[in-house]
Amino acid sequence: MAAVHGDTHGHEHDDHHPSGIMRWVTTTNHKDIGTMYLWFSFTMFLVGGFLAMGIRAELYQPGIQILEPELFNQFTTLHGLIMVFGAIMPAFVGFANWQVPLMIGAPDMAFARMNNWSFWLLPVAATLLIGSFFVPGGAAAGGWTFYPPLSTQGGLGVDMMIFSVHILGASSIMGSINIITTILNMRAPGMTLMKMPMFVWTWLITAYLLVLVMPVLAGVVTMLLTDRHFGTSFFNAAGGGDPVLFQHIFWFFGHPEVYIMILPAFGIVSEIIPTFSRKPLFGYSSMVYATASIAILSCVVWAHHMFTAGMPAVGQLFFMYATMLIAVPTAVKVFNWTATMWRGSMTFETPMLFSVGFIFLFVIGGFSGVICAIVPIDIQVQDTYYVIAHFHYVLVSGALFALFAGAYYWIPKWTGRMYNETLGKWHFWLSMFFFNLTFFVQHFLGLAGMPRRVPDYNLQFADFNMISSLGAFGFGLTQLLFLYIMINCIRSGEKAPQLPWEGAKTLEWTHLPTPAPYHSFEKPPVVN
Amino acid sequence: MDKIAEKEVNVSIWQIAKAVFAAFIGIRKKSDLENDAAILKPIHVVVGGIIGGLLFVLGVVLLVKLVLS
Repeated sequence: MAAVHGDTHGHEHDDHHPSGIMRWVTTTNHKDIGTMYLWFSFTMFLVGGFLAMGIRAELYQPGIQILEPELFNQFTTLHGLIMVFGAIMPAFVGFANWQVPLMIGAPDMAFARMNNWSFWLLPVAATLLIGSFFVPGGAAAGGWTFYPPLSTQGGLGVDMMIFSVHILGASSIMGSINIITTILNMRAPGMTLMKMPMFVWTWLITAYLLVLVMPVLAGVVTMLLTDRHFGTSFFNAAGGGDPVLFQHIFWFFGHPEVYIMILPAFGIVSEIIPTFSRKPLFGYSSMVYATASIAILSCVVWAHHMFTAGMPAVGQLFFMYATMLIAVPTAVKVFNWTATMWRGSMTFETPMLFSVGFIFLFVIGGFSGVICAIVPIDIQVQDTYYVIAHFHYVLVSGALFALFAGAYYWIPKWTGRMYNETLGKWHFWLSMFFFNLTFFVQHFLGLAGMPRRVPDYNLQFADFNMISSLGAFGFGLTQLLFLYIMINCIRSGEKAPQLPWEGAKTLEWTHLPTPAPYHSFEKPPVVN
Repeated sequence: MDKIAEKEVNVSIWQIAKAVFAAFIGIRKKSDLENDAAILKPIHVVVGGIIGGLLFVLGVVLLVKLVLS
């Protein structure tokens, strides 16, 4: 690859790349594409956040105030779909695009043009999803898991959602193939697999998971489509099908999907904690093995999402035991992060704050996950706000906090400018406060029996709902502060020093100038 | 010659089993890891991982049968 990206070619390319909007439409540069992924995902985060604000505004007090129940159901459904497929997943792919080539000493991604195509599919899918609100019948309203029979009954909005999921799946598969090929074939000389940064390892394993499960999702939504329009009865009991089949296939995708959204977060945190503890990552090899273990186990636990759907005791116990065993490698990781910090020379800049916040809150989400894994408890809390609280602890204070940490950590490398540290710390502490205000009380609501996906509730749930809504409004506003900090950094931030984080040891910090040039590692670095 | 080859195969299988087992728990010493990286090829680990995954599933099924009997 070094020969292809020799000096002459590099300059030629520099001289001829289009300017203005066409630069972004036609770009094959991993940094440009990474930037587009990140802006796209943040935009979708704001759209999904707007829907969340609508949900919490309606739930602020009992009774129907703002959203009719039909629209409320569309809001909850699209909030989930947009946050999972439009915000969190593309954000991690954005990080992979920027960071994987920089961290392994590669000049670009392996399939640069396919990379462009992977990205530009996303706005199409997003348009379909958001546009479905405005078609007759409105958007899909059966929940982000689109279980039949609800999803076989909806209108055009459901078809748009299905098509959108197809496109997003295609984008993810292409992205994963690109990441796998880049990591396996384009590492700098001397960068053996076991010298790769943890972020690269976690993405390698995540990409394999994506290639494994996205086709399953594509298959199941296609079956849904043929049930809706071509007279098949995969999920229709009247025609000999079974709606529970959908749940099994969906969750065979859905549970690894949870790990797809959290493993790269583990990777980001595993880069940041050693940097700000000024120590190497404790138990690097254990971390690699634990990541692999989590990925393997994640494929044999899917039915813990459907204990109440009906299952023999053998199945319930199998999925309960297998699920609880995932706690072992996850605990190994938490132990290793803690041991990395132990007796380190720690400082708490914003990336580190978000990483430590991640560990603290992710552990709470992990524990409530173990609680949900226990069949007799799960049968009580299934479809209650306890589950909502659990997965928001994993996905918001897990995945999202890690994304914030990564953004603050690498923005000096990307832009050559520093963000405002004081505002960054405000962003962290406000996020921390409002996040817990929003979601911790939802544990109590769930244990008291409040069901999820309802626009109205009994009076006994009123106080906690009001607290949760106030927290959500605060959390939503706080994220606008993040947008301000980032724009302020990009436009007028102080010039970043060559090595803004003295403990950073990976290639992008040690072998490249700050900001990283448009074409980097045209000649591969030598890794000792 | 055959004996030497056989010995190498045996060592490898034991090595694969240890590496896969370590992966399932998520703990591995650095020296053992470097040894793995030097001796094992990706195909070994992939096949070992699939067999290990099947054994894991069978193990949990047996445990469940034991509990329910």
